[in-house]
Formats: sequence, structure tokens, C-alpha cells
Amino acid sequence: MMPVKAFSEEWASAFKDEVNRSSTYKSAAKGWKWTVGLVVEAEPDKHFPESRGVVMDLFDGEARDIKVGPAADAQKCDFVITAPYSRWKEVATKQLDATKGMLQGKLKLKGDLPTIVRYTKASQEMTECTTRVPVAWPDEN
Amino acid sequence: MHDPGARRMARRKLERDPQAELVAYSDQEPSAFASMLGGLIEANIRSNPAKLEDFDRLVARVGIFVTDIEEGVTLDFKGGRLVVHNGLEATRTITIRAEAETVMSLSNLRIGPLGMPIYFDEVGRGVALKLLKGRLKIDGLIPNVMTVNAVTRVFSVT
Repeated sequence: MMPVKAFSEEWASAFKDEVNRSSTYKSAAKGWKWTVGLVVEAEPDKHFPESRGVVMDLFDGEARDIKVGPAADAQKCDFVITAPYSRWKEVATKQLDATKGMLQGKLKLKGDLPTIVRYTKASQEMTECTTRVPVAWPDEN
Repeated sequence: MHDPGARRMARRKLERDPQAELVAYSDQEPSAFASMLGGLIEANIRSNPAKLEDFDRLVARVGIFVTDIEEGVTLDFKGGRLVVHNGLEATRTITIRAEAETVMSLSNLRIGPLGMPIYFDEVGRGVALKLLKGRLKIDGLIPNVMTVNAVTRVFSVT
């Protein structure tokens, strides 16, 4: 698979396919019915000049839709995880474990904590799915 | 004259103001880990009356140290109130040391009959195995088993 531009529509589509291919995610996310927004904050010095939002419509172990748009759209989701571009890159390249990142405040989480903790395995698998999407990072080109 | 209702009155539980502060932070800037644990416990006890009863009875100083991020917090349960401190404070009743993933799985332990954590399902077996292998250490476990169980109930999201 050809690398896709980071946090682009093509990336969202490839990410959605990876999530829906994962049997681990499907069973771990049974019963999940909330939207998740990822806010990727701008880092102009890393050639990521504008913040973006990833809106994920996840339902009962399936990714029904994953879209990339303005950060404000992601902020309206039931759960919102916010971090600068380079932190997300660390997550997607397995340099930062998302659970550890949240405990350290490197990724900021907004939403009902007991619910997200109940689905730790699903969120870990979702992170794994991001690592399987080949990405062309803007600060590496 | 003997008042037949007096005993009932004396046993009646005090009504709690629903807006009352249950969780406080000792540091002006609580760490992300402290905020997360405090927030998790507060959400649990506000949504579950059985957990609130445990919380009201619980008096213990519990340290949690996450070994792979080298960060800790102290949960000071004061019988109906919790004060969360950044870092490990002195004179703790129990101290839990484990990796981040294990700490998260502790909050996914299911609680069974008599309020005992279940160690025979997938999550429980994983926790028990880590305890046996020394990847989960609980200092003060033996003399404080009941406290550990109460903390687990308050901490559990299931």
C-alpha cells in the first residue's frame, strides 16, 4: 500500500478499513456507541500548519465513518483526545503508547472516564490500527 | 417517655449534598495521572450507590506508582472524602506498583458476590498472573486485604 498523507481524507479511509479489518477491535468494542474526536494541533515548524479534527463514528465494534475536517468538528464529539501533530505521529509510529500518553498528559482526554477505561482494549487496538497505515509525514518530505 | 422513633432516627444516614466535593487535589497543578484517577473515582462513586458506601467507609492512604512512566499518586481516602496528591506521600497503608496497562486493568476487574474482585475471568486472570510474576506489586497487601478489596471496588468501572 502506498503511503497516504498524514491526517488526510485518504488516511481516514485507510484507517477506517484497518479498524474494520480488526477482529480484536470488533470484539473489544462491542457495546461502544459514542463518537470520538481526535484533535491534531498545528505545528507549523513541522509542516503541519493548521489544526485538524478526525471525527470517528464508531458503533458496536464497527467504524461506520471516519472523516477529517476542522478541529471544531472533533471537539463536538462525546470523547475528545487532543495532542499536537508530533505527539500523534509518535503514537502512530509506536514511539508513544496511547495509555501512557494519557496518564502523562501528553494526550489530553475529555469525556466520561469510566467508559473509556472500560474500553481500554478497544482503544489500544485502535491505536494499533493507526500504526498499520503507511503514512507520508509532512516533516519527513 | 420512650420515643419509639428515636432509634430509627439515630440510625438514619445523613443526607449528602449532591454537589458536595468528594474529591480534592492537594497540588495546585494536579498531574494528568492524579486528575485521571481522581476523576475516575469521582465518576464511579457518583454513579453507583454501592461504591459510594464503600467510599464513605474507606479510610486509607493508597499509593499507586506506574513503573513505566515513573509517576505516582497518593489517594488519601478520609471516609467520604478523597484527597489526591501528586507523587507518593509518606505513611501509606498500601502501595500498588505496576505498568500503566496493568493499572488500567485493575480498574477493569469485575466485582463478584460479597464484593470480592473476580480473578477467574480474562482480566482477573491477567491481574493474578502479574501479581504472581511480580509485575504487579502491592506493598501492605497481607494485613490490608479488605482495604485492597474496597479500593478495587471504588476503582472498578465494571
